[in-house]
Amino acid sequence: MSHGLAEALRESAVINLTGAVTMVVDDSPFGLDITASALLGFGIKTRYACPSAAAAMEILQDQAIDLLVVDSEMPDVDGYGLVRWLRRSGLDPNAFVPVIMTAAHVRRSRVSEARDCGANFVITKPFSAASLLERIVWVARDSRPFLEVGEYFGPDRRFRAGDPPGEERRGDVLRRARFEAEKQAAASAAAAETGE
Amino acid sequence: MTVITHARRKSRLSKIIDTAGGVSVGKALAQAKANLEALRPRSLQEVSDRVAELERLAPPSTPEEGVERLAIAYRAANGVIDSAGPFDLDDVCKVALGLCDLIDAVTPTRPFDWRVMPVYAQSLRLLLLLPADASAERAQVRASLDHMVDVKLAQS
Repeated sequence: MSHGLAEALRESAVINLTGAVTMVVDDSPFGLDITASALLGFGIKTRYACPSAAAAMEILQDQAIDLLVVDSEMPDVDGYGLVRWLRRSGLDPNAFVPVIMTAAHVRRSRVSEARDCGANFVITKPFSAASLLERIVWVARDSRPFLEVGEYFGPDRRFRAGDPPGEERRGDVLRRARFEAEKQAAASAAAAETGE
Repeated sequence: MTVITHARRKSRLSKIIDTAGGVSVGKALAQAKANLEALRPRSLQEVSDRVAELERLAPPSTPEEGVERLAIAYRAANGVIDSAGPFDLDDVCKVALGLCDLIDAVTPTRPFDWRVMPVYAQSLRLLLLLPADASAERAQVRASLDHMVDVKLAQS
């Protein structure tokens, strides 16, 4: 967390989100309720709760919003499709609106789509109220320029160069390491048994 | 490739957040947690319904049926994570995530092993029934499933 964001999320720091016109899109009614309940705690009354991307698109053509929270997995047009459409829609100011995408599981084949759809941030579930608020504050303060590069239109995707900070957290890398360690241990045990 | 840069305009959200009034972060988080807590009973019911969907899934008899049933299983496992998410059911979420990983790893040359579906469904059911403080038992359920996922996916 950057120093600025940490400061903004001090317990005593004051935020005012009551005037933010917010849209939540999720095909799961319970998912909608969870997100809307958390947002309400932050002072945000969800103005538009949409059960599908199609319903959201209809509203976005006419109504300006300040924040979009959208689930990635939905039938027909999914969250990625909705955000891609929005960024390319030419709708002003909606095409530039801060977008938080939520995802329970991102398929390997869709990782690049998650990165390239134009969302400001993708939150993986399960998420806590604190992480949702942290991301709302983050996207509110997001000062990255918007770029048009080929098919892409959205916030500059470059955060920083180099390896990810901190300890390794990628599931596939950790899994492979554990598997290799087990294989190595089994081979060593077998070699010890045969006296090699 | 041409890159067109649009100078970032301040979003309305960035202006709203700093306007006078509002609440402290501490109060906002406490209120959000209280709001979510009210949804806990419904969450447990939703998770139980999604697990029941997994329990009902029988092995397919045709490849087409297999694709369709895996899509149902993937949606149900996603639904478990969606519904359990904010309610401290981390082990339930991780088990459901493991099932998503296994389904996602299916390729034409590596079909889904349907023997694992009832294992997942029963494990999720067991985690829902076990008391929250049965940490050792919960960890054991997780560990055995994690091992299965590791073995199946590490060879990909």
